[in-house]
Amino acid sequence: MNETRAVGGPPGLDTPNDAVLGRLPVQGGRVGYAEERPDGRLHARVRIPEDELVWDPSIVVMPHGGQLELELVNDDQNTHCALLPSNGDHQFLWLPINSRGTASLELDGPGCYWFSSIIGNDEGQGLIAAIVVLGESPPEARLDRPPQPRP
Amino acid sequence: MAGRYVDVGHAVRQSTLSGVVGSAPPVVRDVTYDRIRQARAEPQNWLTYYGAYDGQRYSPLDQINTENVRRLAPAWVFQAGASGVFAGASTYSFEAAPIVVDGVMYVSGWDGWVWALDGATGQELWRYKHAIPSDTPLCCGNVNRGVAVAKGKVFVVTLNAHVLALDAETGECVWDKTYGDVRAGESGTVAPLVVKDLVIVGSSGGEFGVRGHLDAFEVDTGRHAWRTYTVPKPGEPGSETWPADGQAWARGGGNCWVTGTFDPELNLMYWGTGNPSPDFDGAVREGDNLYTDSLIAVDPDNGEIRWHYQYNPHDVWDYDSNMEHILFDLDGRKLLAHFNKNGYFFILDRTNGELVRVAPFTDRITWGEIDADGKVTPKVYPKDEGEPVRFWPGPAGAKEWTHAAYSPRTGLLYVPVQDVGAEITLRHREFKEGIPYWGAGVAVDLEDMAGSVSAFDPSTGDEVWRWSNDVPMCASVLATGGDLVFAGEPTGEFNAFDARTGELLWHFQTGSGHHSSPTTYSIDGRQYIAVPVGWGSWVEGFLPGMFGTPHGDALFVFALPEE
Repeated sequence: MNETRAVGGPPGLDTPNDAVLGRLPVQGGRVGYAEERPDGRLHARVRIPEDELVWDPSIVVMPHGGQLELELVNDDQNTHCALLPSNGDHQFLWLPINSRGTASLELDGPGCYWFSSIIGNDEGQGLIAAIVVLGESPPEARLDRPPQPRP
Repeated sequence: MAGRYVDVGHAVRQSTLSGVVGSAPPVVRDVTYDRIRQARAEPQNWLTYYGAYDGQRYSPLDQINTENVRRLAPAWVFQAGASGVFAGASTYSFEAAPIVVDGVMYVSGWDGWVWALDGATGQELWRYKHAIPSDTPLCCGNVNRGVAVAKGKVFVVTLNAHVLALDAETGECVWDKTYGDVRAGESGTVAPLVVKDLVIVGSSGGEFGVRGHLDAFEVDTGRHAWRTYTVPKPGEPGSETWPADGQAWARGGGNCWVTGTFDPELNLMYWGTGNPSPDFDGAVREGDNLYTDSLIAVDPDNGEIRWHYQYNPHDVWDYDSNMEHILFDLDGRKLLAHFNKNGYFFILDRTNGELVRVAPFTDRITWGEIDADGKVTPKVYPKDEGEPVRFWPGPAGAKEWTHAAYSPRTGLLYVPVQDVGAEITLRHREFKEGIPYWGAGVAVDLEDMAGSVSAFDPSTGDEVWRWSNDVPMCASVLATGGDLVFAGEPTGEFNAFDARTGELLWHFQTGSGHHSSPTTYSIDGRQYIAVPVGWGSWVEGFLPGMFGTPHGDALFVFALPEE
């Protein structure tokens, strides 16, 4: 998976217990791009670094809707979890200290889907991340009208 | 380093970490078109959105009646709650009309939730959760108005404009079709309507400059059967009501975001259409703007619009006309009743759209007037850039989408009334796809408001009784064979009225405002009243004075105490 640095924020917002008590969700995080495997499935990996209260990358980009195989790694010295979006039901994964697991997600797109660790106040302190699905709605669903201006 | 990790395996469905049973009895397997057509013959069930195709929201069940309703008490409560981060966390609302088939309830929530519940105990049998993009364009909150059932499937639309068929026994998705373009500002909130072998849905997005449409899909396969646009292209019938040049028609709105009714004998569906886009800036769309703010009579077999009746030609008040068309017969004549946002209710001949009667149903109507022949005369409307205008009813209307009811026992129509005005300031803006396209600033009054549940005689247009409230009534009404009318308040009370007098006979404080459609059913001879409770949605439009009402997410079910 390729990763790039997101736009940085004001000082202290991307560090736990500096400017604020936790860290601003997604602030200062990295962008990761899911890789498309020959079978058409997309694959990405996110991890929780030690004492950073962040998913890294904090934005996972899917080039189109479909299935995403997501690997999740907890390198932190505290237990977390992941509640992940997927058609059918949320997917849940415990992430004890130094653990790794996987999730299979089905997402329509386009649009932005959030996932988070839903124990304690992990969400409030920064363990929120996004899966961003690119692309357009399928042609058969679009409006019969001339192309329209977009922002 | 890989060896030092604990392998926690694969993520599991969140529902496996709950008390969900995982399956429901096969009660929907035999729900056919004929059964839905004869829905009132099995009053123990609530088989379709309005209870029956006629949209009366009436049940013959009479175990709970004017004599014993004071003993009504909660039987069970289902609470949905929320976890994680989702779209519209401040605007979600529990708006659905619960469907019940032979003891099993099927109900949708906000944000892609569908639940199958035991109708007697509230036990969660299965759940389905569609993943919804948090940035889905929504004018009016994270909502869904209900499901449809037939032939072993539960049908629901999603906010990101998919229509799904779920296995009614397991909740697993059987087919999934996209019927709208979220990048264009479209979404899905309507409760589907099953007619014959088709499931029919309308689109939302009238505040984003989309072009409204109805779509039909085959129940069994999901194959797309037809699409009908509610705004004609240049050259099509009705296109003469739009500017000849430019693309106003392509952004014209007219969405069908509230479920239609159906007359099997006439083979006609009655769908209301929404506001033209932009809502308030009429200068960019001169003309009557068909078929916005209209009743369209649609052939379910091919989607053809047979005839129409436009309630608000060239609407510049946001007076969507989606709301229910209640089918009833009077003196041998096939009629329908419709309460419009504009403060008037209409009785039409449903064979041809001829106006039979029009009368006001609210006290303050200042935007204009409609005479006995249906002639519309606008009086107050936004026309000058930056100049505020004030009118009643405000843009949420004297009645919003929430439904009226009709009791064949009393011959009366029962309507939830909102009496609240608004100040609208025209602000022209250029159209950009996916960006709200209102064309005005909107400030709905925070005080000087009122509401009621009012009963009207469709044969005269006269008001028969009124139960007055100090704030607007924003939830659907239910009428029953026990001569009761049920309606919830924004302050949380769920009320039962005497259908003949309007006397308040019973109420229960549910803890959150009502903006849903109560239904009734029976299991093993015990009658239940079900009402989703969860204040939200377009509160800034219909009642911003109650913005601070607790934001609930519960389904209450009431019954008489067991012996």
